[in-house]
Order: sequence, then structure tokens, then C-alpha cells
Amino acid sequence: MTMRFRRLSALAALVALPAAATAQAKKTTRAPSPRAKLVPECSWKPSDAWVKRQAEFFDESKHDWTNDSLRAALLDAAGLKAPLKIPVQFGVRVEGSDATPPTSAGVMVEALKKLASTRGSTWPTRSVVGAAGTHAVYLLVGLDTTLARIALHRMMEAGPAESPAADVATLEDRLRLLAGRKQIYGTQFRRNDGKVELAPMEDSAHADLRREDASLPPFELGLCMAGVGERKG
Amino acid sequence: MQIWFRFVAAVGLSATLPLSLASQVATPSTGKVTHVSLAGEAAGREPKAFAPLVGSWVITKDAGQNVLFIDGRVWKRGQPAGGLADKARELYGARNEEFIESIKAFAYYPIAVYKGLDNFENGEISVRFQMIGGTLDRCAGILFDVKPNGDYLTVRYNGTEDNVVLWTFNNGVRKFVNRAPTLVPLELGTWHTLKVSIHGTSMKSWLDDQPMHDYTLPHPVAGKIGVWSKTDSMIEFADFTVTPTSK
Repeated sequence: MTMRFRRLSALAALVALPAAATAQAKKTTRAPSPRAKLVPECSWKPSDAWVKRQAEFFDESKHDWTNDSLRAALLDAAGLKAPLKIPVQFGVRVEGSDATPPTSAGVMVEALKKLASTRGSTWPTRSVVGAAGTHAVYLLVGLDTTLARIALHRMMEAGPAESPAADVATLEDRLRLLAGRKQIYGTQFRRNDGKVELAPMEDSAHADLRREDASLPPFELGLCMAGVGERKG
Repeated sequence: MQIWFRFVAAVGLSATLPLSLASQVATPSTGKVTHVSLAGEAAGREPKAFAPLVGSWVITKDAGQNVLFIDGRVWKRGQPAGGLADKARELYGARNEEFIESIKAFAYYPIAVYKGLDNFENGEISVRFQMIGGTLDRCAGILFDVKPNGDYLTVRYNGTEDNVVLWTFNNGVRKFVNRAPTLVPLELGTWHTLKVSIHGTSMKSWLDDQPMHDYTLPHPVAGKIGVWSKTDSMIEFADFTVTPTSK
């Protein structure tokens, strides 16, 4: 079974920021669109390695996290409902396409900022809030650049079993661009004269190695999903 | 020379190495520049010039040239280095168990020990490296003062922190020693040179000829050398060069 990526109407949602739109995006990824049919390479299968790795990370069948109440609050603030639809992270974010975050997000962002600034505090990783909870954290920290920088560090430190690699990669790309550097995974896009283009990137030659490591789709598929070169309103 | 003889006697290395490896082992010829060529190595295979004790180290091609690649993706899948016991035995003979016991705690830090020099005390070591990727770390380091029990020192560049840091590993525990004050952001997919010089307890380092460290070690260096990395780093190494000196 081949899944096709609905690019035109769901693009903003697929960036996974903010959260409410993301939940909607999960519903749209499996629906074939006329546009996608014209671009056969813009598709993915559940058996694709990157999809399987995301499925493995986000498998919550063991219910092996420790803080249910924090998890529930994070999911609520991010507008998510577990279990998440796989793939969770496509690594496609177009600048200016972020939808308005849920009103409850602000309170949780403040709570995460407090947590981040407290020495010795337990960061909400997978063993604490489950895989869906970590994705909610990713969505929420993206609403505050300062918090996002701290969170990225915490996510990287926690290691691959505790943080979703695709979220880490996508967040790192975004923060690198904000810091005036080039992205390294190719997850960030912008509009130029109405056309979607890849934001500045370094070493695109090895992009697929990095993206494989981060459980992201192949680079070409990412470009296709973003609709690079297409004129968008 | 006294320290050198004590080192050899302690590890019993010369008596336990197979002939094929013993023929590659060089005594510290002072002042002679040794450029480690990978030209004769087979792409896709483990290196012959280095013993990959931790991590997945393979020879790969970059712009048609053989380079040494640490593939951190393998670590993510939880695969330890193959044949660790054999490699430790090759390097340290009967004392390999001590090495293995210690190195288990190093599982996040891939190392490949250069086979061509048993004991480095003074001189310069340099290596070119290119960061390919790594979601957690992008580390390229020079390994030195490698002891039979697995203790060692490393000066490494980390592309996720943009800094050069000296670390020490003792009994499997990593400890920060000194961070160079200058932050140097480097682009992925570009080649850079890391260099250290050791003269007695004086340790200096450079990144692309830019001075990084000027540090006094607590004790002189004596041990094997090699290359170092961390967790899921994907790094290519080339042009490993060592120039031992008398002081």
C-alpha cells in the first residue's frame, strides 16, 4: 500500500508547528490527492525504513512512562491525541505557514520554561511522558525560541531512546537558521516570490545519510512534499 | 627510553602480536613524519592501519580517496564493535580482559587505535576530518595516552557545540579537562584539520591552524594514539599524521 502526501492544503500542518494543525495533518497524509498522483515520487509506504523507525519509537503499547498527568497536560496543550498517526514527523516546515497555536499552549510553554530553568529537574522524555508526550514537547517548545534552544540540548542529551530523532533534527534545522547558520537536514523551506524553496543548507550531498540517521524521509521526498518550485499563495 | 621499555614490558606487546601485525609496528622514530596512508585499504572493510576497538569504523571513499569513516548510525542500533576481544588481545595480549572491562563503559565513544606506533610520548599528531552527520553529536577527536587498561586522553572538536575540548577517560569515566576558549562553527561536508602537540606536560592544540589549547597536563603522556568520536557521529577522517620527537 502506498501513501501519498497531500501537499497543497496540508502543507502548513505538516510542519508540525503548531500542534493543533499537526493533528489534522496526520489525518490528511493518508488520503491521496490529485496533485500527488501527478508526482509519483512524492509518496511513502508503511514499509519504508524511516516510517518503520518512527513507528518503533512511537509504539506506546507497553505504557512504560511514569508521569501520566504531565503527559495528558502536554498532549492537551499541543492539541494531540494518542496514539499518534505514523509517520509523526515528515520534516517539512515552510516559513510563515505555522498555524495559530491552541490557547492552552501558552500555559504549558511557561511550565516548560520553568522546568528548563530548574536545576536538576526531570525533562519530559519518553520514559517520563511517553513518545507522544515527547512529540507534544517538541511542538510546544517550537513556540518559544529561547525555550527551544534549551529543549534541543535536553533532547539531544537524553539520547535516541528518549527523544524522537526526527523532531530533534527538524528543531535543530529551525534553530540553526534562526541563528544565521545553514540547516543540515533540509527540513526548512521558505517562500521566494511565491515559490517554495529550500532554506540555505550545507552539505546537501550527505543529506540522505543524516536524514536516515534521523528517521526522516529521503531528501528528494522531502523536497517533493514541500512542493519546492511550486508557486503557492 | 626508560618509560618506553617499561611500557613494552608491562603489556608484553611485542611477544604476543602476530607476525603480520608486528611487522607493521613501528618504534618511536623521533622526528620522522609518519603519514598514515589508507590508499591500500579496501573500501567497505574495517581499516588495517587502525584497530577499531569501539564503534563501526570502515574505509569509505570521498572524492575518489580512501578515508576512515565512523558510522554512528550503527551505534544507534546497539551494535558493539565486532571482535573486540580479539582486537584487544592483538593490542594488549594477556591483559586484554582489563581493557575490555574498562572499555564497556566507553560504548558511547568510538575509538580506533593506530597500529603503527606503540608508544607516543612527545611530538605532533594531526588528522583531517569532515563532519557528515549525527543527531546527538558530531565529534572528531585525536586519541592519545591510550593505556593498556583503556584509560586515555582525547582532544576533540564537537560540531554540535562548535568547540574543542580536552577530555580524560579513567576507569571508564569521562571527565572534562579543558575547553578551548574560541568557538568555531564548521560546516558539514567540509574538511578541517585538528592537531595536537605534546612536549612533556605541555599540550597544545589547533583547529585549522588556529590555536585552541595551551594547557599543562598533570603528567607526561605515554601510550598508543588514534582517532576518537562520540555516540551517533558520522565523521570521515583522513591524513592521520604523527611526528614523534624526543622531547
